[in-house]
Amino acid sequence: MKTYKYNKSQELFKKAAEIIPCGIYGHFSPAPLIPVTDYPFYVDHAKGSRFWDVDGNEFIDYMCAYGPMVLGYNNDKIDAAATAQRGKVNCGPAPAEVMIDLAQEFVETVDIADWAFFAKNGADMTTFSLMVARAHSGRDKIIRLKGGYHGTAPWSQSPDHHGITFGDAKDIVIGEWNNYEALEKYIHKHKGEVAGVISTPYHHPTFADNELPADGYWQKVEALCKNEGVVLIIDAVRTGFRLDYGGSNEYFGFKPDLIAFCKAIANGYPISALVGTNDMKNAASNVFHTGSYWYSAEPMAASLATIRELKAVNAVEKMYNIGVKLGDGLVDLAKDHGYNMKRSGHPAMPYFRITDDPSLMLHQKWCGECTKRGAYFTSHHNWFVSAAHTDEDIHETLKIADEAFKSLKEK
Amino acid sequence: MQMSYHLIKAGINLYAIFKNLEDLIEHDEECRNLIKDKKLSIQFSVKNGPRAWIRFENNVCQVGQGKIKNPSVILWFKSPEHLNKMFDGQANPIPLKGFTKLGFLTKEFGQITKKLEYYLKPEDVKNPTDAYLSINTRFILTIAAFALSEIGKYDKESKITASHIPNGKIQMRVLPNDPAVFLTINNGIISAEKGVTEKPDAVMEMKNIKTANDFLNGKSNPFLAIASGDVIIKGQTPMLDNLSLILDKVNKYVS
Repeated sequence: MKTYKYNKSQELFKKAAEIIPCGIYGHFSPAPLIPVTDYPFYVDHAKGSRFWDVDGNEFIDYMCAYGPMVLGYNNDKIDAAATAQRGKVNCGPAPAEVMIDLAQEFVETVDIADWAFFAKNGADMTTFSLMVARAHSGRDKIIRLKGGYHGTAPWSQSPDHHGITFGDAKDIVIGEWNNYEALEKYIHKHKGEVAGVISTPYHHPTFADNELPADGYWQKVEALCKNEGVVLIIDAVRTGFRLDYGGSNEYFGFKPDLIAFCKAIANGYPISALVGTNDMKNAASNVFHTGSYWYSAEPMAASLATIRELKAVNAVEKMYNIGVKLGDGLVDLAKDHGYNMKRSGHPAMPYFRITDDPSLMLHQKWCGECTKRGAYFTSHHNWFVSAAHTDEDIHETLKIADEAFKSLKEK
Repeated sequence: MQMSYHLIKAGINLYAIFKNLEDLIEHDEECRNLIKDKKLSIQFSVKNGPRAWIRFENNVCQVGQGKIKNPSVILWFKSPEHLNKMFDGQANPIPLKGFTKLGFLTKEFGQITKKLEYYLKPEDVKNPTDAYLSINTRFILTIAAFALSEIGKYDKESKITASHIPNGKIQMRVLPNDPAVFLTINNGIISAEKGVTEKPDAVMEMKNIKTANDFLNGKSNPFLAIASGDVIIKGQTPMLDNLSLILDKVNKYVS
């Protein structure tokens, strides 16, 4: 099987490093793509479940742009809706009617949603959710959980990070995933001080196995928050519309007060949303939070089309089934080659790890070998499948994975 | 300046900068000749601060933390700031023992530390030779590793960073034939050693001396170095990310 070269990617990066901080910054940085020489840095074009890099290499994409792609790149239906809206107006001096249509769609689709608020990125909404919780409760403290990622706003980072101060982290308390007892103890000890608890619906850190909630965990947390007047915020930026149309919380059987969405809600068009219960609406109305592009109509039209199409094609069920097929295939293949492949998290966004080497170096090598044969796998982050991934994609992927396992033995 | 600044700086001066004396004697013939057949030890004691010792014996130099038994010379410092001033050439230690050895301190030892300084200032060297670059790289790597330990213990933000690093070992190495250092993290405490460790949890490898020298001296673009594969990182790289947060503070404390 041919393995890829990335000469143009490297050449472009050299230029980028001169004029862009880091060359490629943020979560697209090549640093966690290990070994880095096995990975492309720049995409040229994409369609369906695949993308082509600037060197002309073709990949089956298991990162889906780190989540936004959910119905296939350049999905004709979604693009048509967006184009139609853009033909009328995108950014104008006032919002377009589609904003109301989209809010209605969220209210009808997401179980707890009585209202919806729109922005651009997930962090806009996780930050907004904190502000709403504080405005609603009149309290300051926010509990977030260790290893949870809610964007890069200063409140969500550790005070030892560059550009972050101890003041930024003031009133942010770090709890532990699945540790209900510690959460209850803290909230009782600081009665009347905690404004909100923010968490992903299940734990999906980087460089570590994902963890689903323990039995009864969320139900106890929900009850605790209700009893103590603490706003329960679910960050569904990554999981939103991959686990359950009604909200990722529905998958686990609990009801938060606020849910932040981004990534999969518009198949790659830039938009995020915060939805909430009627109890939260007043506070959400009182908080001033806005942005230049938050009213742009084209992504709203794309989002409306996306949510409708997700339901029409049974996308959640599709992604679950494809994810299970992929996972079963990889686990079996690993076993055939004498390795242990652990999968964790939800099948639509699984995390895989070859456990035979706890340092991750073996898993990194394998992911790199798969990537340079055309199955784009990262070793540090959960993957994503989409409704555009097919059985043929899985079949081809497993062939690639098999070759990659063989190459480990040769090295 | 806060007390912790001088304390950290003093620890780095004794445990990181002076640690290079071992390799200086090994790799620089002139310095090795200065201690030829000498047998003595020097104890550095800092009031409310670190303690370290240097031993010259069998044409080899050893540098250690803490107290050495029966030192030939004891040099006392009334504070970490006093020690730091000595390193900056602005103060003298207070000798408590070994007055007959003061000649060695002012003459041979003075020449050795001057040579150490020479190898630590590549910006002052026009057209450095490969041999010079090799020694400078070795020294910078040692300083980085041993300084991490001190900064991680006492610097306000770095204590938080160190507490986030899971237990394990991190290898930093120059290919193909070293130098190498490794760090052991145990419940937020970082300790450094020279050499190669078995089964590290995270690794940073630099492809050769020139690449390592440019990378460690801040002369190359670190993102380009990593993206091109000149500097390889692998394993539990969040350990390296956290380490790099602490390493970014070294210049704050090293003169």
